Formats: sequence, C-alpha cells, structure tokens
Amino acid sequence: MPKKFTVLSLFLVAALMLAACVAAPPVAEAPAEEAPMEEASADMSGKVVIASGGMIRIGGSFALTGPIPDPGLNIRHGAELAIDDLNAMGGLEGFMFELVAEDGACDGTQGTNVGNKFAADETIVAVTGGTCSGETFGLMPILQEARIPFVSPSATNPDVTSADCDVCNRVALSDALQGATDAAFVVSDLGISSVAVVHDNSDYGKGLAEIFQNNVMEMGGEVTSFEGVQVGDTDFRAMLAKVGADGPQFIFFGGYSTEAGLIAQQMTETPGLEDTAFMSVDGAYTQQYLEAAGGAAEGTYVSFVAGADSEEMNEDFDAKYMEKYGVSPDDLGPFHSQSYDSVKLIAAAIAAVASVDDNGNLVIDREELISAIRSVDAFEGLTGTIKCDSMGECGAGGVQIYQVMDGDFSQVSGFGME
Amino acid sequence: MTSSPVKAQAAGTDGRAAMKQFTRALGAAIVILVVWRVTTVGLAEGYPASFWISQALNGLVLGGVYALVALGYTLVYGILFMINFAHGEVMMIGGITGFFALQFAQARGWMEGPWPVVVVALLLIMFIGMAASVLIGVTLERLAYRPLRQAPRLVPLISAIGASLFLQYSVLLIFGVSPHSYRKPALISGGLRLGDVFIPYTGAIIFVISILLMLALYFIIQRTKLGRAMRAVAEDRSTASLMGVDVNAVIVVTFMLGSALAGAAGVMLGFHNTVVKFNSGFIPGLKAFTAAVLGGIGNIPGAMFGALILGLIEAIGPSALGIPTEYKDVIAFTLLVLILIFRPTGLFGEVLSEKRA
Repeated sequence: MPKKFTVLSLFLVAALMLAACVAAPPVAEAPAEEAPMEEASADMSGKVVIASGGMIRIGGSFALTGPIPDPGLNIRHGAELAIDDLNAMGGLEGFMFELVAEDGACDGTQGTNVGNKFAADETIVAVTGGTCSGETFGLMPILQEARIPFVSPSATNPDVTSADCDVCNRVALSDALQGATDAAFVVSDLGISSVAVVHDNSDYGKGLAEIFQNNVMEMGGEVTSFEGVQVGDTDFRAMLAKVGADGPQFIFFGGYSTEAGLIAQQMTETPGLEDTAFMSVDGAYTQQYLEAAGGAAEGTYVSFVAGADSEEMNEDFDAKYMEKYGVSPDDLGPFHSQSYDSVKLIAAAIAAVASVDDNGNLVIDREELISAIRSVDAFEGLTGTIKCDSMGECGAGGVQIYQVMDGDFSQVSGFGME
Repeated sequence: MTSSPVKAQAAGTDGRAAMKQFTRALGAAIVILVVWRVTTVGLAEGYPASFWISQALNGLVLGGVYALVALGYTLVYGILFMINFAHGEVMMIGGITGFFALQFAQARGWMEGPWPVVVVALLLIMFIGMAASVLIGVTLERLAYRPLRQAPRLVPLISAIGASLFLQYSVLLIFGVSPHSYRKPALISGGLRLGDVFIPYTGAIIFVISILLMLALYFIIQRTKLGRAMRAVAEDRSTASLMGVDVNAVIVVTFMLGSALAGAAGVMLGFHNTVVKFNSGFIPGLKAFTAAVLGGIGNIPGAMFGALILGLIEAIGPSALGIPTEYKDVIAFTLLVLILIFRPTGLFGEVLSEKRA
C-alpha cells in the first residue's frame, strides 16, 4: 500500500505539472516538425500569391494571457487600429489587410506554438510581435526557417535582433540602451553606490538585470546581491530579507508589473529596506504596477523605451483608440504606439515589393519583403521617424525615466527632457 | 526459470535487504551533504540572529496557509483514498470571492469605519470566501468524484486534474486574466517592529487564525458525533454504513470542512500577498499536497506539522544552504521526492490508511 502510493504520487505530480505546462496555452497547436517543410513544398517559388478579393494576412503574436495580459491587449489594439487605418485608406492595390491575432502568452513555448501556426499557414505574409522577449525567442527560429519576417513592437532583449537572423526586426529600443541609461541614472544622477539587482528569470527581465548590473559595476558601483524570483510569485519576503541583510541603498528589478509592484510593497515590510529606493523597467511601466504596489509605488522609479511622439498623429490615434475601445490607450499599457508603427512599417515594406500580376493576383516575394523591411528609411510613425538598420533595429526615440508622484508617473530624466 | 519458488523468494528478500541498505546509505549521504553545506556555506555568511528569526516567521506564516490547505487533502484522502488535486483551485475561488466581497465592502466605506466595523467586515469577507469554496468543493464532490467512487483509484484522480484545469480556466474566462489586487484596510496594513524583526499584521493574523481553525477542526473530529462518524467512515466505510452512519453525508461534510479551511486560506493569503488570479491556487495547492505527504497523508496532526515544517524549510532553506531564493520551490519538491523515497508514510505515519493496508 505505501509503495503503491509512492509510485502513484510521483506519477501524479509529474502528470499534473505536465498538464499545467501543456494546458496553459489555450490555443491550438500546429505540429512542430512538419509545418515549415509543408510550407516550403507548397510554396517553392517563395512568393505569396493573393487572389483578387483575398486579404493580405499579417500574423500577430500578442501576450494576451501570462504575466502582462493588459499590455498584451493594448498592443493588439494598436495593431488593430493600424489595420483599420490601412484599410480606410484603401488597402494596397485594392487588397485589404487582415490581422491574424494569436496568444503568445509572453512565453517561449507558446511563442513556438504560434510560430508553427504561422509557418504552416502560407497566406501569412509577415508577423507583428511577439510582445515579450522570451515569446519572441520562441517565434524567431521558426519564422527564420519559414522566411516570414517579423517586427516586434516591444521585445527589448538585445538578442532579439542579431546578425544571424534576417527576418528579425523591432521598433522597440534594445535593453542594451535601457540598462546603460538606468545604470547611469542611478549611479551618476542619484549618486547611489550600492545596489541589489533582482530579476524574474524571464529572458527579458534577467537579460535587462544583467545589463544593468554590468553597467553599474563598470561605473564603479557595488552590486550587493543578484537574486532571481519567478514570474507569478506573490511572496517575496524571504528573498527581500536576504537582500536586505546586505543593506543596499537601491533595488533594481528586471521584470513585469505585478511582481514589481509586490516587491515594492513588500520592501516596506522588510527590515533594512524600508527606506531603500526601488526602480523597475519598461515591463512595469503600467497601471497594473501602480495597482499592485498601492501606496508603496510613491517615489519609486520606472524606465521606459519611449518613441519620439509626434503630438498631432498621437492625438488622432488616442481619439480613435478611445472611440473603438472605450479606454485611454495609456490605461492598459505603454507599447500601443510601437505596435501601430510595427504594422504600418510592415505594410509600407509590403507596398514596396508587392505587384499585381496579369491575372489580378497580388504577388509578394518573401525574400524581397525581408530585405524591404531592412531598407525602410524615414518612415513617419507615431514613435517618430523610423529607419531600420542592417540588424533590424528600427526603434526611434530614447530611454525615459519616470518617478511615481501622487499616484502617477512623472518623467524625471532621459529622452525628451534635455 | 528452474529455480524453486522458495529460492526465488529468498532472492527477493536478499534484493530487498540490499535495496534497503542502499537507500539508507543514500539517505545518510544526503543528510551529511546538507549539514556540510549549511555549516560551511549558510552559516559562514554571518547573518544576524534577527535575520533567521525574520525568515522563520515568514516560514510560519507560509506554513499556516499550507496547513489549512493540506488539511483538505488529508481529510479527503483519509476517507476516500483519493487526492483531490482541484483543492488548490478551491482555495483560489475563496481568494477571488474574497476580493469581490472586499470591493463591495470598500465601495460602502466599511473599511474606513471604526475598528469594530472593520473587524466584522473582514470576518464577513472571510466567511463569504469560505462559503464560495464550500459550494465549489461540494459541487466537485457531487459532479466529479461521486460518480466515480466505485471506479479504479486512478480514475477520480484524473477527474480531479480535469476539474482543476476546468476551474482555473473558468475563472480566467469569467474574471479575466489580469491579477486582482486586494486593497488592505489601514487597520491591518503595516505591522509590529521588534528590533530588527518585522511582523506584518496580516502574517500574524494568518498564523493565529490558522491555529484556531486547526484546533476547531481537531475538536470537531475528536469530540463530536459528526467527527466520530467521519473517523468511522475513514476506518471502514461499509461497516460504518452497517452501523447506521450515512456515508454520503459524511463524505459531503468532509469536503465542506476541507473546502472551508481552504477558502479561509485563500482570503487570508489574498490580504497578505495582495494579488489573486486564476492560477494562484496551483502552486500553493501542490505545496500543501507536499506538506500533507510530508506529515503522512490521511494524518491530521501530520498535515499541520508537515505544513509548518515545509513553510520553515522553504523560508530558511535557501539562506541556510547558501543558494539563491529562487530555488525555494525546488527545495520543497525535492523534499517531496525524498520523503516518498525514504518515508512514504510521512514523518508522522499514514494513520488512517495503515488500517487499510
């Protein structure tokens, strides 16, 4: 009896964890191996041919579930508005655009599932997304093999773009810049010499925390501890007690809203950390952060990779957003403008390479589209004048640093203030 | 092939003895390794005593929550010999319901009133959360487990996993995927500061209430007629039935008690950690299951002490072993595997089920 129970329990715990992993993404999966091969054989010419009356289909990987569902939805809204505007202006040669939205769940495994789904669908011309860096790492190799270019509005990990990946692009700014700017702000502007660095073990959060840590050390600051937590944790007291034992002047957290808010809140309950300043990053530049932190948010810092807003275009966008979704775009998350630009950028690249053949079909060459995105120059978007370089970095703007005052973010340093 | 049954049996005993020796040696090696690590790395860090006390208090609070949930596992196992893997979700439902009850109370300004009003409102919120959990627990028993009572043992377990996912994603669809943030009323915000040790009020409340609820449960089981019926059903269902015990009613009451405790844990954890969402019962549920196995599943005091021990190990373990705190879950689940290997009946023995074995 006890032995039976042993085996049974082990089996069950394993099964339950497996079930949780497999079941978490509520979206259908495409077979991993077959998809790209099928695509290649069905489409030997490397061209997308859209029959007259068909749609130009752009895939979208959005973090609709997972740790940051509100920003994910916000990004989806931005993309939908871009599609609306493109179609209102008559589409392209009479062909309308369509957004094929999938849930990337801010997670690498689900990013892979979404990538396979897009790769198996030969009507997908390009992809906007993923929302998170880890999710984008899941998409990346599959889209690279399927020759589908993508533009991420918000994946900021430096490795999202690389010399090896010609389909990888983004309109967000790299964390290499954010981490360095944050470190300079903390060490030079605030004059802090000892910091503790915490991250959430996501590709995004850990990557940014490491960049920040390296920059602080290069500038002569001391890093008292480097601790990880898990996305989804809610009790950080044990971690904070350990961090607090070293008495840092400052805690930097690389991760997302809810965890950032709870850490800020639980710091006030940790001996040695009651008066320690706290800073988080663009993943926490949300209303959800203010909500989760409550009163503890006051005085904390958050950085954001902002675009160079053009007032007029943004007012128009905000009005359309309010009208369609009934909320202000900033209520849900910060990356809606980048998302809008990402889709518009893709559409501009498609317009540059698409042609109508003798039968009235729209023909888009995949390889030409991949290089067309990289040659976008002086594209006027919501986030400023976008120019893509040979690595796929299309971001405009700079890093901004905000401090929470009277329950709202107010900029204290960085891009647009000089 | 040709060896006699007697010889084969002897060989089997030999093999078992060798296996026993091997596990013993392995166990000793693990203990030595842990002690070595703690003395050379953990203690060498030179943390002050207040640090260890803070961590131990964190652990006791965690342990109190795990205990309330673990009791649900153990009660149901004691009577039905099944693991109710949807129990973590029963707790989550309590937390979510408590959130909405709190919103209701806050909208009416009860949380800013004089302290007796706030205390009564908080207790009401907890009872509402408990009631919701009881409702879900009883429904689960009726729909997901009772029809399978005569089925092989694995079947209700699979049903439980299905129910767990069903509840998680129903909550996701109904209440959305975003986390809900509890707003603590001023009365229970902050905490007591004793030197370098800080005790959050919510933590102290969790510990006290969980002890009170456990005492109440122990009283019900040991001192009331209902408790006697529960013990009788746990010991032998068919004989109890012959003696005039309404087995179905006892099973329903068992689910009600377990679910009420889980609901209370869900609401209190909501106030303590301030965030609940559709999957916030999953990991605590697994931890509580670990705690129940640690104490000996089916054993009620075992679940209580197992949970407190697990909470303490989780809070103190990473610092004592000198490893990053992100490995706290690894420590907890490694403990589960070790317990299953070395002492499958748990630290305090599998009291109720042993009679069955």
